[in-house]
Amino acid sequence: MNKDLISGVVLLAVSGTYYAWSSQIADSTLSDEVGATGLPHVLSVILAILAALLIARAILLRRARTATAAGTDDESDAGLPRAIGFLLLGAAYVFVLPFIGYVAGTALLIGAVALYEGAPRNWVVLAAAVGGAVFYWAIFVKLLGVHQPVGSLFQGMF
Amino acid sequence: MTTLWDIIHLLTETPLFFVAIGGLTWGILGGALPGISASITMALVLPFTYTMDPAQAIALLACVYIGAEYGGSIPAILIRTPGTNSSAATVIDGYEMNRQGRAGEALGISLMSGVVGSLFGLAMLILLTEPLSWLALAFTPPSYFGLGILGLSVIASMSGGSLIKGLAAATVGLMIATVGTDPISGVTRFTFDIPDLLGGIEPVLVMVGLFALTELMSQSGSSTVLQLNETIRIKLPSWSMMNKLKRSQTIGCILGLFEGLTPGGGGSIAAFMSYNEAKRWSKTPQLFGKGSEEGVAAPEAANNTVASTALIPLLSFGIPSSNSTAVLLGGLLMHGLIPGPRLFEQSAQVIDSIYVGSFIAIIAQIGVGMIILPACIWLVNRPRAYRAGFIFALILSGIFTLNNSLFDLGIALALGLVGYLMRIAGFPVLPMILGVVLGHMVESSYRRSLVLSGGDHMIFLQDPIAVCLLSIALIFVVFSLSREFRDARKTKIEEVHS
Repeated sequence: MNKDLISGVVLLAVSGTYYAWSSQIADSTLSDEVGATGLPHVLSVILAILAALLIARAILLRRARTATAAGTDDESDAGLPRAIGFLLLGAAYVFVLPFIGYVAGTALLIGAVALYEGAPRNWVVLAAAVGGAVFYWAIFVKLLGVHQPVGSLFQGMF
Repeated sequence: MTTLWDIIHLLTETPLFFVAIGGLTWGILGGALPGISASITMALVLPFTYTMDPAQAIALLACVYIGAEYGGSIPAILIRTPGTNSSAATVIDGYEMNRQGRAGEALGISLMSGVVGSLFGLAMLILLTEPLSWLALAFTPPSYFGLGILGLSVIASMSGGSLIKGLAAATVGLMIATVGTDPISGVTRFTFDIPDLLGGIEPVLVMVGLFALTELMSQSGSSTVLQLNETIRIKLPSWSMMNKLKRSQTIGCILGLFEGLTPGGGGSIAAFMSYNEAKRWSKTPQLFGKGSEEGVAAPEAANNTVASTALIPLLSFGIPSSNSTAVLLGGLLMHGLIPGPRLFEQSAQVIDSIYVGSFIAIIAQIGVGMIILPACIWLVNRPRAYRAGFIFALILSGIFTLNNSLFDLGIALALGLVGYLMRIAGFPVLPMILGVVLGHMVESSYRRSLVLSGGDHMIFLQDPIAVCLLSIALIFVVFSLSREFRDARKTKIEEVHS
């Protein structure tokens, strides 16, 4: 199966799911003629038509033409596992942030990403991670006054 | 009537010069931080202006606004993260130039185009406030619908060679824009009882996810090494380059002027449309998307023009055209200044301070930029492993500051994955961003128009501004489609011959 065919099927599924969800939107006595479901229904139909066109084109053309014009960044999916791994580091950061807080979480994130991206395991990674976390804490928390998570482990220390 | 003596007095007898430079620098730093929008940057200094002289306080806020609108282009060019919504269009060619090792050149073009746009906007603000301000009042819901459709009309030319995929991406963007509270009836849509979704998904989350996180994932998954910039020096455009850029800058200035006058615009539509029109009128349209200087100049001239012209409806009628001008309105009211024609008569010194302060800030932008930007280039030229960690942490910290919400971080990460999969499948992300940015405006103005007309669609043909905007949109679509089909046919013929 080529990428366009898979994309078309996925978009068709998105369209169907979106339509089903939009049908569950509550009615309101304040609603106008179009209503809260009006645009969602139209959008799901448009997406379904576009998905069908994509599928039809993919089937008709045995080899999908790769768009190489400006604006699209086609690339191989060989790097997908590594890219997913990178994203999971971010997901882990979101997960641990409420427990260990902003400074420790950010230090861990910078250090983990640096090691994941091939930095040698030495004191430089540790220094960069701690220095970076303190630097961002100074900017966001101290300078801009943004309340970043303190962390349940360090509650009352900051 | 302001005399030259008044201006000289303002410059010498008050600390306006330092206020302008301070405001500009703060604005650039705030605008350059992902997640810290121009309005947040202004809101952060608002409490400090309470004890200031009203004229200096308002001038400070205006200079912060100018700085923040410019500052948004720095991360857009260097790390593919638009610092503000209006700098999203700068990402396309700005980041491409950076990838080619031309970051100094891209930042120089962005800086000078910003200065050109700001000066043009300031001139319009000073000279044409009264005649132009009435256009702001003429905007009705059908006009806004026309404006939204005009913005969406550039999708065809941003589809990167695949119209179906571009339209599908835009449709998904419009779907994302429907999440939250319905603009007319107030019922919730697609919120799944999650309080964080009641206000919808902010466009900046989508931009950071689709642009910045996707790029970080892509670099992580790729074995190719980015070309580092050989020098951290800023390369200001030469006279011949400025001459080459004048067409795109003019387009940006005109569209920026128009959008600044229309409440609710905010600079994004002008930036995208300027990019589209600069490409259409360029002698080298094939370079757009591949590191075109004009592709940086047009949107930057547009969004910096908006920073000045957005003050026209604000000062004339008290109509804020964006969140940033709403903060400025708050500053005016805090000091007991009521916007309107009487403001120009009774508080002429405040108006003069805005004009003179803005002028100082715009000129000083070149000097401040020359000091700040080399350090920014140096930072993004650090070894990839550390750079990725620092950028990732900066982006996630910035996203959290939007609403102090971990949920937002999850949304951005999910959109990063969506953006990466879109890249693999060859879907352009720009139409999706346009859909998210314009979706709410299009839907709410369409439905408000029908409420006003009792369901009669003829209202869109009875409003002269709406007719004008919809006609332009139709022309844009026809031209864009014909160009896309012509290019596709040309490519096919070349493939057959090769």
